[in-house]
Amino acid sequence: MADKKKMSVAEILAAARAADGAGEKPAAAEAAPAPEQPVAEKPSEAAPKAAPKASKPAASSEGGRPSVAEILAMARAKKAAGGEAEAAKPAAKAAPKPAPAARAAAKPAAAAATAGKKGVQRDTASILAAARAAAKPGPVSKAEAPSRPAAKPKPKAAAPKAPPRPVPPKPTRPQPAVKKAAEEDRRGFLQIATGSFLAVGFTALSVAGGLFTLGLARFFFPNVLAEPPSKFKVGFKDGFPSGKVETKYVAQYGVWVVNGDFQGEQQIYALKTVCTHLGCTPSWLEAEQKFKCPCHGSGFYKDGINFEGPAPRPLERYAIRIADDGQLEVDKSRTFQEELGQWADPQSYVSV
Amino acid sequence: MHASPFFLSDVAGFLGGYYAFIAAMNGVFAFLLWRKYGQPGWAITWSAFAGGMMVLASLALSGAPSLVPALPDSVRTVVNALSGPVLYSLGTMALFTVLFIFRKFFVQPMVAWTILNAALVLMGLSMADQNFAAIVMKPDNVPIVGLVFLLAFFTWVATKQAVVNDERIARGEPPMEKVNDEKVLVWPDLVYTELICMVAVTAFLLLWAICLPAPLEEPASSVKTPNPSKAPWYFLGLQEMLVYFDPWYAGVVLPSLVVFGLMAMPYLDFNKQGNGYYSIAERKFAYLTYQFGFLVLWITLIILGTFLRGPNWNFYGPFEYWTPYKVEVLNNVDLNQMFWVQWLDMPLPRAATDAPWYSQLGHILLREAPGLALLGLYLVALPPLLAVTIFRGMFAKMGFIRYLIMSNLMLLMLSLPLKMVLRWTMNLRYIVSIPEISLNF
Repeated sequence: MADKKKMSVAEILAAARAADGAGEKPAAAEAAPAPEQPVAEKPSEAAPKAAPKASKPAASSEGGRPSVAEILAMARAKKAAGGEAEAAKPAAKAAPKPAPAARAAAKPAAAAATAGKKGVQRDTASILAAARAAAKPGPVSKAEAPSRPAAKPKPKAAAPKAPPRPVPPKPTRPQPAVKKAAEEDRRGFLQIATGSFLAVGFTALSVAGGLFTLGLARFFFPNVLAEPPSKFKVGFKDGFPSGKVETKYVAQYGVWVVNGDFQGEQQIYALKTVCTHLGCTPSWLEAEQKFKCPCHGSGFYKDGINFEGPAPRPLERYAIRIADDGQLEVDKSRTFQEELGQWADPQSYVSV
Repeated sequence: MHASPFFLSDVAGFLGGYYAFIAAMNGVFAFLLWRKYGQPGWAITWSAFAGGMMVLASLALSGAPSLVPALPDSVRTVVNALSGPVLYSLGTMALFTVLFIFRKFFVQPMVAWTILNAALVLMGLSMADQNFAAIVMKPDNVPIVGLVFLLAFFTWVATKQAVVNDERIARGEPPMEKVNDEKVLVWPDLVYTELICMVAVTAFLLLWAICLPAPLEEPASSVKTPNPSKAPWYFLGLQEMLVYFDPWYAGVVLPSLVVFGLMAMPYLDFNKQGNGYYSIAERKFAYLTYQFGFLVLWITLIILGTFLRGPNWNFYGPFEYWTPYKVEVLNNVDLNQMFWVQWLDMPLPRAATDAPWYSQLGHILLREAPGLALLGLYLVALPPLLAVTIFRGMFAKMGFIRYLIMSNLMLLMLSLPLKMVLRWTMNLRYIVSIPEISLNF
């Protein structure tokens, strides 16, 4: 390739065309330069420095086409003239005949060209050849017409050389695949990048939200619990004479401790100070011997049974027992509801 | 009653200004009657009334207990003795009916003016009572006093326009709103009016906030409920409803039904008349239903809750002292108790505590059978019955679905006054009472 670079484009083209004109396949020649040992004196002289490629057409000139020598000569002459750029076109035009020939030989070349399209490495010649073959079909003279059939066998002849050929396409094929992947990567980069930004953002957001929730939940467990304990002692039984409703535990604990009569049995029980209608705190009216709610006027007897207003069920009882030291102990963690028959539970009262 | 000389000297200044205001109002009214409307006879009458008000004002300003105009004690006692939830509710319903039937009489300006003055004077006379003044002049309750007068005024204006339109329609003329409806004066008429109203209302609210500061109470506590404990004024109707029902019904179902019922109105209304103008005669059913629901079932309950419900949510007469020790004998009973114990004289059906769940359920259903049957009759059997009797025409026009929605909304709305009446007359607490699952109706 490095040698090729040293040649001018025009020269390469001319050589390529000459090769085509000879019905030789450049791609094949490229692929396997080695097998082409029979080198014609002229071409070898003419294009030793031109290109290894150029030598192959010469080699293939065994087809005995007169045009090859002429063309090569022309090319050399042109090059000698030193008109590089100018020479290229005249050369191209001067050799209309080889062009069709190139086309005639195009099938394998085209294959190579297409392979080249797909492939990474496209040499200039093949590109130009392909372009020209497509763009400039050119007329085919009767004299040249036989060259076509002649040209076709050539590829076939070259087919034995095919074993090396498939080899290069193999690396080229994976290459496109690699390249596609590379392209996808490049295109998808933005997506991946923005997508990952979103992912990072949302992850951060959810982490922050989770931490916030945890922090919020922490507020429900303050270091200092101002609430009074759910179990507390209210003194000995003697402090609750019959008929007494003790209201001094309402403000702190929300409990009335009552020594009252429930269904003919004298009991001490702890009533919860929450109205069963909508949850206001009723007040104990000593004169009327009833609990009366200030919100909607519900009334309860001393035993907690609802009898007036909208309250649908009796007040609830807390658990009460006699502690080891003989004092009454109220446990607010357990409630007993009359309408569920729980007041029969001995834990809901202390017998007097 | 509990009047003290300190109270009278305190309230005397206010009452003097109050009567002077009524006098000035009537003076202006008389002047307008004389010069603008050419009714010298009425003008003389009202200026004489204004003179009387000036006399009252000067008496009030004297501050002497014997001179400040007040209702006689006997009248107050009688009013207190008579007032109660039953009379109040029946009275408002009767008033509503009378106002509706004789609306042509009440919409006359002179009648309305007379009623307004009578109400103002009565309020002034009542204000000399300490108990009455304590409730009415409480900063919380002043807006409700304003609401009473404002609502009366706007209802009167609308009714007057409706009556005028009805008369015009009866004569074959188009309603007032259709006479000159080609253009509406917006700029500057409406916009300037709005601007002036905005400034005036802002100034008024500022003054109000300065003169009657919001009452602040002690910090809230879960174990200390103020007695009486009252909702914001606009929810007092709701609070009154809660006296008669379980929270799920009066606090959740009924308010939702109010909202959804109002939303459903345009779809239930099949009456094409009365569109875009005031009219009562053309829309009697719609008018009566709405005004009953709004005026009787909402506004009067707010007034009841504000002025007449005192400590322990007991009913207090307008001149009664609000003592938390008022003894009111009440013994509310559920329908199941009435049916099984009082009428059939047998114990309530009750399953053994260790009975399986289906036995419990069966006993509960048996216990509540009378209430459930009553409820079923009311909500299921009544609509078809009404459809073939008094709502026959409406059923034909509305179709099945719309009629069912309308009739059920109507029945649920009427369940409130019915339940109230049952509570007062029979001491009935709940028709269906299943406290085991907190389901009471």
